[in-house]
Amino acid sequence: MRSLLMAGIVATFGTTAIAAQQMTLPRKSGSVRFLVLGDAGTGDREQYETANQMLRYGRLFPFTFAIMLGDNLYGSERPQDFERKFMRPYRALLEGDVEFHAALGNHDDPNQRYFKPFNLGGNRYRTFKKGNVRFFVIDSNYLDPAQMEWLEKELSQSGSDWKIAYFHHPLYTTARRGPEVELRAMLEPLFVKYGVDVVFTGHEHIYERLNPQKGIYHFTVGGAAKLRKGDTRQSPIIAARYDRDRSFLLAEIAGDSLYFQAVSRRGAVVDKGVIGRREVRPAVAAGASSTAGVPAKP
Amino acid sequence: MLRSFSFRRFILAGMAGAALAVGAGCDKDEVKKPETDPSTTVFDDFAKRVDGYMKIRKSIVDSVGELDPTKSQAEITARSTALADGIMAARAEAKQGDIFTTEFAALVATLIKEEYKRRSISVQETRSDQQDELPDFKPAVNQLYPTTYPLATFPATLLPLLPTLPEQLEYRVVQHYLVLRDVEANVILDYMPNAVPMT
Repeated sequence: MRSLLMAGIVATFGTTAIAAQQMTLPRKSGSVRFLVLGDAGTGDREQYETANQMLRYGRLFPFTFAIMLGDNLYGSERPQDFERKFMRPYRALLEGDVEFHAALGNHDDPNQRYFKPFNLGGNRYRTFKKGNVRFFVIDSNYLDPAQMEWLEKELSQSGSDWKIAYFHHPLYTTARRGPEVELRAMLEPLFVKYGVDVVFTGHEHIYERLNPQKGIYHFTVGGAAKLRKGDTRQSPIIAARYDRDRSFLLAEIAGDSLYFQAVSRRGAVVDKGVIGRREVRPAVAAGASSTAGVPAKP
Repeated sequence: MLRSFSFRRFILAGMAGAALAVGAGCDKDEVKKPETDPSTTVFDDFAKRVDGYMKIRKSIVDSVGELDPTKSQAEITARSTALADGIMAARAEAKQGDIFTTEFAALVATLIKEEYKRRSISVQETRSDQQDELPDFKPAVNQLYPTTYPLATFPATLLPLLPTLPEQLEYRVVQHYLVLRDVEANVILDYMPNAVPMT
């Protein structure tokens, strides 16, 4: 019964085209295009509806991979759960050869690292490259000395133009549970030292974009299925926020620019803009390089 | 092999030195540093116990096989279950304190409490705010970590103070307990109560 319901949702939403004006990304030739989603694995209707918006936008903005910010599966992790909470909602993307690159969240069994579609290759943390972008996938649940050693080595050796780190727990957020300041104490000095440009995290079930903190842009994208309505707060560190419905982010990197567009479960664009690479960014006040069209809202 | 860290040694040496100073009631110049790191014996013993467990584990892995990345979640689950069953059978007589000995528990509890004392108010408040997702059960040896609870994020600043474990094992915090867990088998191998201050 549940399968039929979910199939119905796919049929209803998946066939509707989005208006071209809803697509703000430039879609430049040779750009690196990806989807960002966090806290997705509920298997509930909201996950499927949000997944369908990803599919609809994917038709206008063909991304080749997705980064998952943890809590990939909530609750039990039986084979049928992987089907209901991951394979089925994203089947059209998977069949369209979109690669999913997962990070582990606090609700995830670390054995997910062996699940091939998550591309962790048996590791809790890893790095991979797409075009001129190096991604660092960190296990923020268990930041042991071995991982810190690995991270510093990989960051120091990366010659990529862009360095993007992603993991589950936000170093900065205005949401109720607050930032992981212990993680921040460990990770931020390395990020600053080795020039990380952008950090994507989930955990908080909202969308937030922060003004640069120590030169680094932070996005919280934790609303792909769950929602903490009204959970964000007005703050000087916030550039934009959305906590009224589920959401995800589309990103495009072309040269020294990262274009982004956050989308709600209903398909509305709730944030958009462009940020510059750290090394070429002018040394100006926080947020000055962003051209995001949607300001922070209370 | 387990490693010790210089910061942990620094803290322990400092604590031992302070204890000597208080105990002797002597002036600063007469304080003598302990000739050996007081943690060495205890942590070496812990390392031997962990090595002993890893030998048992290896014999089970030899029979159930290594786990490679696979597309099949059924294979992952089956292998994890087989490993857990083998571990629990091989350690059927295991009891609390077999790996986390009384001496180890006392030392580690002190380390953790000292680390918590050094935390800023903001760190303490943040951890307090995150209590809503922390697991709430009483751990037991040979218990499967209940999958109904998330795995509480381990305090990142605490890990460097504890003996490093083989990658197949990890520490976890469950309320005031420090838990030793086999990651792939999801089995609790040992635990110590009153190890972690409740914030």
